[in-house]
Amino acid sequence: MIQYMIKRIVIGVLSLFVLVGITFFLTRAIPGSPFESSNVSGEVLEMMENEYGLNDPVIVQYGTYLLHVIQGDFGYSYENPSQSVTSIIAEFLPVTIMTGGLALLLAIVTGVSFGIWMVVSKQKIIQRALFSGTILGTGIPNFVLALVLIFVFGVKFHWLPVAGGSEWESYILPVCSLAIYPASVICRMTAHLYKEEMKKEYVVLAKAKGMQWERIVWKHVLRHIWLPLFNYLGSAAAFLLTGSFAIESIFTIPGLGSQFVHAISNRDYTLIMGLTIFMGTVVISIQVLVDLLGAWIDPKIRRSYEGQ
Amino acid sequence: MFLQKKNKMLKRGMILFCILALLALFVPLLSPWSCTDMNADIRNMSPNLQHFFGTDKFGRDLFVRTFYGARISLLVGILSALINGIFGICYGGFSGYSGKVVDILLMRVADIISSIPSLLYVILFTLVFGANEMSIILGLCISGWIETARIVRGEVIRLKNREFCIAAGLFGKGKLYIFFQHILPNAAGPVMINLTFLVPQAIFTEAFLSFMGVGISPPKASLGSLIQFSRSQMQTYPYQMIFPTLILVLFIVSMNLIGEGLKNMEKVREEE
Amino acid sequence: MSLLDIKNLCIWYENEDHRQVVSDLSFQIQKGEFVGLVGASGCGKSSAMLGIMGLLPENSGFSCERFLFRGEHYEKKIETLRGKKIAMVFQDPSAYLNPLLKIGQQLTETIRCHKTCTKKEAKERAMELLSMAGIHSPETRMNQYPFEISGGMRQRVVIAIALACEPDLVIADEPTTALDVTVQRQILDLLKTISQRTKTAILLVSHDLGVIASVCDRVLVMQEGKIVEEGTANQIFYEPQNPYTMQLVEKAKAVMSVAKKKEKGVLVLESKDIGCKFRERLRWNKTCTREALRQISFSMYHGETFGLVGESGCGKTTLARILTGILSPDFGKLWSKGKVQMVFQDPYASFDPGYTIEKILLEAIPKQADHTKEVEKMLQLVGLKPEDRWKYPREFSGGQRQRIAIARALMSCPEILILDEPVSALDISTQSQILKFLDDIQQETGISYLFISHDLNVVKHMSQRIAVMYLGTFMEMGDTASIYEDPWHPYTKQLLSAILVPDPKKAHRRKKLIVKEILKQEEGTEKGCPFAGQCGYAMTRCHTEFPDFYQFEDRQVRCFLYSEEHTGRRRAGAPMISQI
Repeated sequence: MIQYMIKRIVIGVLSLFVLVGITFFLTRAIPGSPFESSNVSGEVLEMMENEYGLNDPVIVQYGTYLLHVIQGDFGYSYENPSQSVTSIIAEFLPVTIMTGGLALLLAIVTGVSFGIWMVVSKQKIIQRALFSGTILGTGIPNFVLALVLIFVFGVKFHWLPVAGGSEWESYILPVCSLAIYPASVICRMTAHLYKEEMKKEYVVLAKAKGMQWERIVWKHVLRHIWLPLFNYLGSAAAFLLTGSFAIESIFTIPGLGSQFVHAISNRDYTLIMGLTIFMGTVVISIQVLVDLLGAWIDPKIRRSYEGQ
Repeated sequence: MFLQKKNKMLKRGMILFCILALLALFVPLLSPWSCTDMNADIRNMSPNLQHFFGTDKFGRDLFVRTFYGARISLLVGILSALINGIFGICYGGFSGYSGKVVDILLMRVADIISSIPSLLYVILFTLVFGANEMSIILGLCISGWIETARIVRGEVIRLKNREFCIAAGLFGKGKLYIFFQHILPNAAGPVMINLTFLVPQAIFTEAFLSFMGVGISPPKASLGSLIQFSRSQMQTYPYQMIFPTLILVLFIVSMNLIGEGLKNMEKVREEE
Repeated sequence: MSLLDIKNLCIWYENEDHRQVVSDLSFQIQKGEFVGLVGASGCGKSSAMLGIMGLLPENSGFSCERFLFRGEHYEKKIETLRGKKIAMVFQDPSAYLNPLLKIGQQLTETIRCHKTCTKKEAKERAMELLSMAGIHSPETRMNQYPFEISGGMRQRVVIAIALACEPDLVIADEPTTALDVTVQRQILDLLKTISQRTKTAILLVSHDLGVIASVCDRVLVMQEGKIVEEGTANQIFYEPQNPYTMQLVEKAKAVMSVAKKKEKGVLVLESKDIGCKFRERLRWNKTCTREALRQISFSMYHGETFGLVGESGCGKTTLARILTGILSPDFGKLWSKGKVQMVFQDPYASFDPGYTIEKILLEAIPKQADHTKEVEKMLQLVGLKPEDRWKYPREFSGGQRQRIAIARALMSCPEILILDEPVSALDISTQSQILKFLDDIQQETGISYLFISHDLNVVKHMSQRIAVMYLGTFMEMGDTASIYEDPWHPYTKQLLSAILVPDPKKAHRRKKLIVKEILKQEEGTEKGCPFAGQCGYAMTRCHTEFPDFYQFEDRQVRCFLYSEEHTGRRRAGAPMISQI
């Protein structure tokens, strides 16, 4: 198992290198980047030059940057030089984690339960309604959904607040608009997996043993459904993080996503670089974690790495 | 359960997609109104017989602008799916056929690239190469092919040891012949399904970026930028937002329907 | 009062044609009885059994006029019986065990499902059941997953699960079809022992008359959803009344005959000390090389059939692939006079589903201008119509597909045809048709066959000479008749004693097959005889040295019992006799 962990972590670390490399070299290629442009204030330029050794060869600069990044130092915001990127991340991260985490939780709970309901339900209407719902749920982009929700609940009926606030009501709409896409995907996946698993021979044997339906689902079938669903969580996390760009700026939530959009519109390159690398790191780490836990759940992988 | 609907779903998706694609192709060509010309006399007009979707605050016809945007969506979606598909098939096919060390190495490279969320690539690309369709497509092609490659590789590994491929080898047929004559036709189902799902993803990404202001730059219209543009007037002129939103959602839904329909067809085929 | 009394059981599937798979099936089972149910595949055996268990899929219909169990009516509540009173053992044990659950858990949940007991009691009972099912060291097995144990062991686990609640009736649906011959014998012996010891009635369903004959007291014969004949095993096998039964028994017995001897023709294939190594990944960073084939030498002559028998995983298929040139050997020399072609085990899998028959046949030959005639000629030769060339493989029956596969192999006019388990997927009647057809083709074209099978009866029926293979090497080779009459190698003897004959009297005279279970090969024994770990005659030498292939006239055997050191006192010129 330790060997599998090492292998997976090595891949994760390599991905990080690629991420940092691509970000660094692409940002350097941007016309009018802080490294080349002349319209940067002297103070900042000096700081940059000192920090990154702009007269060194590119590879050396990359190495220096990498060294800084490894130490968690992403430099200072180009727009607001008094603030380090790290401090910005530390300030805005908690809100993003909270909305993302809530959305993920909501997506899993509703997705799995609706998915099983969709298959188990004997009524054609419920099946069709749920299925059409998932098609629509994966069809509406999250930023469009956010606008529609604002329009319906905020503007027309004034039921819920539409812009950021600290009270819990203001999180309902953003969390919902983030969660609907992954919830639809999970719902469809669950329904499909459940149907496939119920056809398997081991279910027939479990029935032949005289087990009750509920026990078969709980003890046998759900185990098989969990594994692929668990693997999906990695991409769901990536989706939620990038989804937060639009959702947070639409609902004016002070999180990393809205900071990122802000940075883009101001062409604040150090902040863009820092946030890109940070978010990439988060997604890669989640994926590594999911893979490791998935391998732990699957006895075949676990046993093949356990001793002999 | 959904099998009875298999053809219906595919059919509906196809019809919807064809209508939208035709409109996107021909409306900007045939309409008397231009996409970019501003006209102060007809600002913020509600939908009427001359302007089916009304006009925006600069007096531009929204019907033309919406379908001009849809055209860009279509271009981005189909072109990126095609490039990703072709590259993915080659990469996956080569990896699966080589096996052993080459296969492991190639797949690790794919793992590394795919770990990074693709939206980050696209944003960086639009920042570097300018806000246009090409940089979006380029950005999408960095990691979009990986899923296709994985599917093709899986199919190649599954099929290359099947008896009909071995039999073809026995009769002196080469690897390329077997790949194109036996493996690819039998793997077409899953690959096609994957490619159909790449299109809505690309459409979504393009709209998302344009919405955030890093996609298609202003004088040109894109569904995403139209939605962003009309956001400020959501309360007073809701129609300005509704139409582009509707077209965007219909586009993505139609492709999803086609994908799901194909999936069900494939399932039926497998069961037979 | 009989244990189970069923009258007019009907089962149909609700698809387009509403086909009735079981119609008016009636039979009784007495307490503690061992009953066999025999019928061709697709006659509704399995559906009937699933119906009795209440396990039919949703799209099927079920009706039953009378369903008496121990004199009580159960027509409407069959579900209450299953697991507790009636248990079932299925065909493919690998699919029926949940791959993600430990064996112990799958057993204890069955026990706790019907009885209120503590976890500890359930565990103790589970271990008791596993040892009753013939599994050694049950404690370690309880903590293993299904993929960690062998196929035979999995079937024992399924049997243990079936016996968990001391049912009155166990239905075994083709319990040995997916297993090797020796394992098949062991499982059947186990079922017999269980029925004798626990007085559980067993209903054994099989298409194989040999299986039925070896264990059953009473036999039901089923044809197209109906019972056509019923009687004691002796009645069915020696005095069948119904024409269908007669035909079945006759065909099964016909396969038992030995092939006719033939004059030796010209040499067409010769292999010398062929060896092949596979590299296996044990763990992500460790590989080991396994010798898949070891010192294989044999020759084949024009117009003969050479049989190759061995259990699954012994390297038969690898050898076939080397002979056809798909794989190249790592050691040794191979010579053949003409082309070598191959017919695969599952003909359907060997055709691209998107190809027409014509396209399939044409793939076998280089492109030519006019080929319609050749295709037509070939189709005629294998007994199909010329119009069939426009059809797709899915439109044909199993036997026809095998004919097409043979036709394709014959297209390129090979000298040798390798038949890899050509009839094991077919029914007994189709099987004999194909065997006869192969014989005719050989008469006509003088082609040589390499006949690979795990079915010892079929090989005996077809081949003039045979080789017995075990873990990558030939153990014994020679005339079919002499090997079957008087096996020299201990492995051959074990293998042949596992043969099931469709003859109850002979079967009853048989002793129980005792096979040593090898848990793990000891360190340093890889060099020795591969069979040494299971051999009752093993000497110290067997574990450390690889025996030669000793030759005595036209018979060869790989065992130290036949070495000069062991038989040194033998007079010069005296014929070798069996040493076991």
